[in-house]
Amino acid sequence: MKFVDEYRDPAAARVLVARIRELAGEDSFKFMEVCGGHTHTIYRHGIEHVLPQNVELVHGPGCPVCVIPMGRVDDAIAVAETPGVIFTSFGDMMRVPGGHGNLLEAKARGADVRFVYSPLDALRIAVEHPDREVVFFAVGFETTAPSTAVTLLRARDADVRNFSVFCNHVTIVPPLKAILESPDLRLDGFLGPGHVSTVVGNHPYRFVPAQYGKPLVTAGFEPLDILQAIVMLLTQIREGRCQVENQYTRIVRDEGNPRALKMLAEVFELRPHFEWRGLGFISQSALKLRPELAPWDAELRFAVPGVRVADPKACQCGEVLKGVIKPWECKVFGTACTPETPIGTCMVSSEGACAAYYNFGRLHREAAVTLGRASA
Amino acid sequence: MAEPGATQTLGSLASDLASTSLAMARRFAAGATLWCWSPEHPEHAQHVAVEFVHPVIVGKRALPAVAIATPGDGGADQLRPLVASGDVVLVGGGGAAAAGVSDVLRRAPAWGATTVWMGAGGRPPAGAADHVLWLADETELAVHDGRLVLLYHLLWELTHVCFEHPGLLGADGACEEATTCITCSDEGRLAEVLAPASDGATVRTAAGIEDIDTTMVGDVHRGDLLLVHAGTAITLVEGGP
Ligand code: SF4
Repeated sequence: MKFVDEYRDPAAARVLVARIRELAGEDSFKFMEVCGGHTHTIYRHGIEHVLPQNVELVHGPGCPVCVIPMGRVDDAIAVAETPGVIFTSFGDMMRVPGGHGNLLEAKARGADVRFVYSPLDALRIAVEHPDREVVFFAVGFETTAPSTAVTLLRARDADVRNFSVFCNHVTIVPPLKAILESPDLRLDGFLGPGHVSTVVGNHPYRFVPAQYGKPLVTAGFEPLDILQAIVMLLTQIREGRCQVENQYTRIVRDEGNPRALKMLAEVFELRPHFEWRGLGFISQSALKLRPELAPWDAELRFAVPGVRVADPKACQCGEVLKGVIKPWECKVFGTACTPETPIGTCMVSSEGACAAYYNFGRLHREAAVTLGRASA
Repeated sequence: MAEPGATQTLGSLASDLASTSLAMARRFAAGATLWCWSPEHPEHAQHVAVEFVHPVIVGKRALPAVAIATPGDGGADQLRPLVASGDVVLVGGGGAAAAGVSDVLRRAPAWGATTVWMGAGGRPPAGAADHVLWLADETELAVHDGRLVLLYHLLWELTHVCFEHPGLLGADGACEEATTCITCSDEGRLAEVLAPASDGATVRTAAGIEDIDTTMVGDVHRGDLLLVHAGTAITLVEGGP
């Protein structure tokens, strides 16, 4: 699915790039890809450098690992270091730095921190270890939140009381609003997230054209998907339209997955506000467990410090996450901050803009500079 | 021998041939079997398999290849138990059997197979297979007059050429997957339902057999295709991936 070479057909890509060039003409356009998966594809395949220089892609806040603030990582470490706890997490959260190190370091100090592929694996561990408290570190947008919801409902139905969730799920619409209201940034449109939209559908994005006058095209993850979505954005602009359109029709339906949405509503409610790394506090942008599920809410069951930790001075993740600067423009990029020793979260996940650029993009950029297609 | 016009047509397929043969060589190097199926023209499937199983010249490897002979709508059922993760499925043509061919091609990623689709006439849409080798400017005649044969002979020979460059054979898409984060990449892996259960299903994905939760997609049936994220089906794939 994700790596279909035919979706990377160079001849088809050339046709789309020519169309982009023709549609853009002499005008400049700046589009934001919201999703970390898109960022990964863009850097991996050097898409930025096949586009004309007047069509720019900026990377949005769509990597949920990257937007977790340091204080929440410290909270997770505090829970993980509680005696008797088995703390479970997706692999990429393990290296995200908090104010007091990361989960891997907590593991090295003796905490029982385990990597899981699914929250259901965490529940399984809880059933196998009734004498231990098992906590799942829930992160992710609406693609991931349903699997946490399913797990919580199963834990409730089976009355598994030694399982709980430290919930950090975030939602996609509020940060989009925050970005649209940011004075720093002038955007001409958005590439909407792919699999998040299988759950939420395309309707929640209608406010983007309606209130802010910007087009949005939900896009798939292959290079041709992204190029075609850019063609669709430019076509809308040139035809004087401003709409939500769906490039990823082979997977995404306008109404999303009603069953998943119902389940999310049954399990979660919106937090009044939540801190996003680099974007600050955004109201109603994250999920917490409903009061009926309090027995499975780790925030209520454990002493969570809840201390806000400022990002390191050198870190410019905020500007990267808002698309104000490119990763290579951060002062510590590739020197003090690398995937091995990340200072900021954008360098941790492979979909984080800085890590994706570090791993792939810089090679394409160096080639583009050499070929005179980008400035040094 | 093919006419000059045919050579020109094949010349325009150079990059498709190069990337397909490299992908196949990588898969063979990792232990793949090539499964060939051409429901409308079984002679081509047999011919491709015969080419690959005999060494191109003395001292070269014989590459494992099998032709299956199944009518147009039975391909998925015959290939499913045969194809292992990492194998290559090469299908020929389409025509009256196009629906059956498309069905195999959209399921093959869930089996972990690389797909190659060869033929002539109207080119299939982007993404129909991992690799499409298509004599797009030709009529169906190309299937009968030797041009398609020439195309798969080149594929076979170029696959062997790739084996002369062992440094190229290590990297594969499978390694790329390991570098992505399931949470951030908004992952959706294709899965085929093997056996529904009360609260989930046993499915086949490129990574193997696994049990997943299907609460969010409702009732599922054997053979359904799903997208899976973090152990949970997030949507049913209807028209194909
Ligand atoms: S280079 Fe490091 S510190 Fe700078 S923006 Fe990227 S992740 Fe943040």
